[in-house]
Amino acid sequence: MAALAATSRQRRRKSSGGLKIGRPSFLWSLPAITFFAICAIAPLCVVVWLSFTSWDALGSPAWVGAGNWRTLFHDPTLRNSFKVTAILTGLGIVTQTPVSLLLGVWAAGYQRNRAILSALYFIPLLMSATAISIVWLSLLDPYYGLPHELHWLFGNGFFEHGYLFSYPSTAIGVLTFVGMWQWTPFHTLIYQGGARAIPQVLYQAAAIDGAGRFRQFLYITLPQLRNTIITSVVLMLVGSLTSFDTILILTSGRPGISTTSTSYYMYIKGFQQFDFGSASVIGVLLVIVSTIISLIVVRASGWDKMRSTQEGV
Amino acid sequence: MSPSRKWVRRGVVTAALALVGAALFAAFGARSSGAAQTRSNGRPANKIVVLVYGDAQNPVEQYAVNTYNKTAEGKKVKAVLETIPGANYQTKLQTLMGSSNAPDVFFNWGGGSITQFQKAGLLLPLNSFMKANPKLKSSFLPSILNAAKIGKNYYGIPMRGTQPVMLFYNKSVLAANHLTPPKTWADLLSDVAALKKGGVQVPIALGGADQWPTLMWFEYAYDRVAGPSFVTDALAGQSSLWKTAASNKALADLGQLINAGAFGPSKSWDSVYFTKNQTAQMVISGQAAFELMGSWYYSTIQSQSASFAAKSLGYTAFPSIPGGKGNLNDLAGNTENYYSVLAKTRYPQAVADFLTVMYSPTFVKKELGLGNLTTTTSTPALITGTTAPYLKYQYSLIKKAPAFQLSWDQAWPQTDSNAIHTAVAGYFDSLDAGTFETAMAGLKPAS
Amino acid sequence: MTARRPNYLAGVLSGVWLVIVLAPVYVLVKASLQTQTDYDSSGPLSIPTHITGSNFGRVIHSGFLRFFVNTGIITAAVVAIVVVLVPPVAFAIVRNRSRTVTIVFRVFLMGLTVPIQAVIVPLYFLISKAGLYDTLLAVILPTAAFSLPISTIIMTGSMRDITGELYEAMALDGASSWRTFRYLVLPLARGGLATIIVFSALNAWNGFLLPLILTQSAHVRVFTLGLYDFQTVSSIDAPAICAAVVLSIIPILVVYLFARRALIRGLMGVGGK
Repeated sequence: MAALAATSRQRRRKSSGGLKIGRPSFLWSLPAITFFAICAIAPLCVVVWLSFTSWDALGSPAWVGAGNWRTLFHDPTLRNSFKVTAILTGLGIVTQTPVSLLLGVWAAGYQRNRAILSALYFIPLLMSATAISIVWLSLLDPYYGLPHELHWLFGNGFFEHGYLFSYPSTAIGVLTFVGMWQWTPFHTLIYQGGARAIPQVLYQAAAIDGAGRFRQFLYITLPQLRNTIITSVVLMLVGSLTSFDTILILTSGRPGISTTSTSYYMYIKGFQQFDFGSASVIGVLLVIVSTIISLIVVRASGWDKMRSTQEGV
Repeated sequence: MSPSRKWVRRGVVTAALALVGAALFAAFGARSSGAAQTRSNGRPANKIVVLVYGDAQNPVEQYAVNTYNKTAEGKKVKAVLETIPGANYQTKLQTLMGSSNAPDVFFNWGGGSITQFQKAGLLLPLNSFMKANPKLKSSFLPSILNAAKIGKNYYGIPMRGTQPVMLFYNKSVLAANHLTPPKTWADLLSDVAALKKGGVQVPIALGGADQWPTLMWFEYAYDRVAGPSFVTDALAGQSSLWKTAASNKALADLGQLINAGAFGPSKSWDSVYFTKNQTAQMVISGQAAFELMGSWYYSTIQSQSASFAAKSLGYTAFPSIPGGKGNLNDLAGNTENYYSVLAKTRYPQAVADFLTVMYSPTFVKKELGLGNLTTTTSTPALITGTTAPYLKYQYSLIKKAPAFQLSWDQAWPQTDSNAIHTAVAGYFDSLDAGTFETAMAGLKPAS
Repeated sequence: MTARRPNYLAGVLSGVWLVIVLAPVYVLVKASLQTQTDYDSSGPLSIPTHITGSNFGRVIHSGFLRFFVNTGIITAAVVAIVVVLVPPVAFAIVRNRSRTVTIVFRVFLMGLTVPIQAVIVPLYFLISKAGLYDTLLAVILPTAAFSLPISTIIMTGSMRDITGELYEAMALDGASSWRTFRYLVLPLARGGLATIIVFSALNAWNGFLLPLILTQSAHVRVFTLGLYDFQTVSSIDAPAICAAVVLSIIPILVVYLFARRALIRGLMGVGGK
C-alpha cells in the first residue's frame, strides 16, 4: 500500500515536472517587479499621500490632513461625475456589446467576403483615440460639418438643430457614438476569436436535431461565448471608467458639467484649478472603484480560474 | 522548499523592495529640498526660452526673437520661441512654472495672472535691468508698467498692445439690412431684431465654448449699469454687492438680449469657439453680423482674410445703457500683455538684451501692423499704413476713457478663473441669476 | 458544411455598419486633399472637384516630422523595456510555484485594474521632482510600466501552452533555467512575444494623456499632441487637420499590412484564453 502510494506520488511529481533543474528562481521576476514598483506602484503610494496635502504645482505640498477629503465629500460636481461616469459606461456597454457580438460572430464565418469586410472594419483600430475624436469633432461642427450638410437629418427637434455640443443629451450621445465607433472593432475581434474557437461539432449536432439558425445562436453560440463576453465587458468597464481623451477633445466636460466624468473632473481639479490635493483624492477613489469592480466581476465569473467552455466536448 | 529557505527568500525580497523604496525616497527627497542652485545647473545651455500665447500674432513675436538672435549677445545665447495654443495657455503655464523646465521669459496679463508666481518667488524683479538700461523703463507708458508692478518691483515689460474690447461688425451685412452701428442698448436690441428678420440666424457671434468671450458681455453690462466702482469694491471683498439691484438689472439686460435670440438659438453658442477661428469665420462669411471681442480680433480676422480686415471690418464702442452709473466711454479689456522673467534664469543678460527689442521702432511698427496699439512712448509717431484708422480709433477710445476695467479672469486670482468662467457660461445657458450671484459672491477676493 | 440560406438580415446590418465605419474615413482622406474654401462651401461628404497636396505640405511644415520621430523613439524604447522585462517574469510565473512568485503575479493582475489616469497627478509630481519634466524619458517610463501587466498576462498565457513533457526533456538533459528559457521557451513563445511587441507598440504610439501632462516643448512633442494643438488653434481648417490625421495613420497602416496576423492573433488570443 505504502509502496503504491510512494510510486504514485513519484509519478505525479514527474508529470508536473517536479524536478528542480530548469526551474527559474524568483530572481527572474525581480527586474520586472522592481521596474513596476518604481514606475507604477510608487505613484500609487504617492497619490494616497498627496490626497492629504495641498499643492498648486508651485512650491512643495503642504499637509492638510483630511481637509480635501472632507471638502470633496460635499462637492456636487463630484457626485454628478459619478452619475455621468455610470451613464457613459452603461451606454457604452449597451451599445457596443450587441453590435460587437453580432459582428464578431458573423465575421467568424470563413466566407471570402467576410474576410475582406473584417479587414475594413478593422480600420478604426488603426487610428489613435485622439485622431478619432478630432475627426469627429471636425465632422460634427455645426456650421461646416455634417449637421450643416445633412440638415434634413439634424433638423428640428431630435438633434437640436445640429448644435450637438450644446445640450447634455446630445453631448452624451456624441460621446457614446464616438466611443462605439472607436471600440466596436476591438471587441468585434475579441468575439470573432471566441466564435472561431467554438467547435463545429456542436453546431452539427444541433443541426441534426433540427435546430434553426436562431436557436443555434441562442443555445450554442451565446453560452460558448461566456468567457469572451465577460472579458469584453470587463475591458469595457475599466476602459470606460477612465475614458478621457474623447471627453477632453469633444466636449471638455461641458455643457455645464453634464459630461464631466470622474476621471475628467480629476484632470480639471488638478491641471486647471491647480488643486492637486483634491485631484489626488479623486485619483484614489478611481483606483479603489476600478479595483473593486474588477475583483467583483472576476470572482463572480471565475475568470481567474478560467474554467474551460470545452468541458465535455 | 524547506520552511527556512522560504523565509530567507521572503526576507530577501522584502529587503530588496524596501531598499528600492528607501532609495527612491532619498532621491526624490534630496531633489525637492535641493537649493535653487542645483536647479539652475539643470537649465539648458546657451539658450533662453520665450513662451507666448499661441495665436495669429505669433509671427511678430518670432520676428522679435529673430532680431535678438542677430545681435552679439544673441549669437552667444540663442532665444527660442515656444507657443502654447491660446485655449490651453494659462493652464499649461502653471504646470510649466512648477517644473524644472520653466521658460526664461513668458507671456502674461500682469495683475492677478502673476501674483501666485511672485508669491512663490518664481519671478525676477526687473528693477535691476531698468537701472542698467533706463530706456527699458522710459520707453513705456508709466500706467502700463504699473499694471505689472507688485509692491516696489516691476515684473513685466509690455510686448503686445493695449486691448480694449470693442464691438466688431461686418459692414456689408449691416449695410444690406440698412443698419448703423448701435449707440445705445435699445439700438442694439432693434438691430438684432432687424437682422433676424433679414435672415441672419446668429446676429451676434459668441464663442461660448471658450467661456471667456461670454465674460466680456458681463464686464460691460456691469460697468454700464453698476459703474466701474462695482468691480473694484467686489475685488476688495464686498461680496454682497453681487446681490444688489444694480447687479440684477445688469443680468436682466443681458437676459433680454439672450431671449431675443441675439446669440442664436438657446445654447447654440456652447458648440462654437473663438479660439478655433469659428466665430471669425461666421462674421467674415456673413452668418453673423456682430462680435464683441478684444482688439486682437483685427489680427484674427486678418489671418483668415486680409482683404476683409482691411475693407469690411467695422468696429465701434460698446453701446451705452441709459440710467446706469457707468460712463458710456468706460472700457473693459486687457491693459497689456507682458513678458515676465523667471527668477532662476541662467542668462539674465541675454534676457535683458532680448527685452530691449520690445521698444525698438521696427518691432513696434510690426505690432502696429497687426492692429495692436502698442504702449511705447514712440507709438503715436509710428502709426501708419492700413491699420492706421483702426489704431487711431483705439487711441481715441483709450484717451477719453475715464475707467478701464481689467478682464475679470485676470483681475481675480488665477485660482478663481475657472469658477468665473463656469458662472458666466451657466448664466447664459440657464438665465438663473441666483446661481450666478452666489457663485460670484463665493470668489476669494484678491489680497 | 451544409449549405445555408444566406443571412440577409446579417448582410443588411453589416452593410449599415460598413457605411458608418467608412464614411468618416472617406471624409478624412478626401478632405485632406481639398482646399479649405472648397471644403467649407461644399460640405464634408461632397465629391471633390479639385485635388491639392498643399495641406500635407503645411502640416509637415509645422513640425510634424519631428513629432513622428519623437513618437517613434518613445515606442521603440517602450517596446525594448517590455521585451526585456516581461518574458523572464512570465517564465518565472509559469514555472515557479512558490508563494513569492504567485504574489508577483497577483500584483501584476491588480496592476491591470489600475487605470493610468488615476495616477497622472502623482506621476506629474514625481517626474517634476525628478527633474524629468518635458523629456522623452518622462513618457517612456510610465508607459512601459503600465504595459507590463497585460503583457505579462499575454506572455504567461502563451508560455502555459508549453507542455510539461517538454520541460521534463530539457531537465533530463541537465539544462539550467537559462538554457530552458533560451532554447525551449523563447522559440515556442514567439507568438506571444510578437503579440506583446505589437500591443505595447500600439499603446505607446497612440499615447496622449502622459505626453499631455508630462511634456510641453516642441522638441519632445508627440504627434497626438501635435494633432491636439493643431485642432485647438484652427479646427475650422478641416483639410489641414485631416491631412495631419492621415499622416499619423500611415505608419500604423504599414505595420498592419506586414504584421496583421500577429496583431489579430494577439487580440483574439486574449478572448479565447
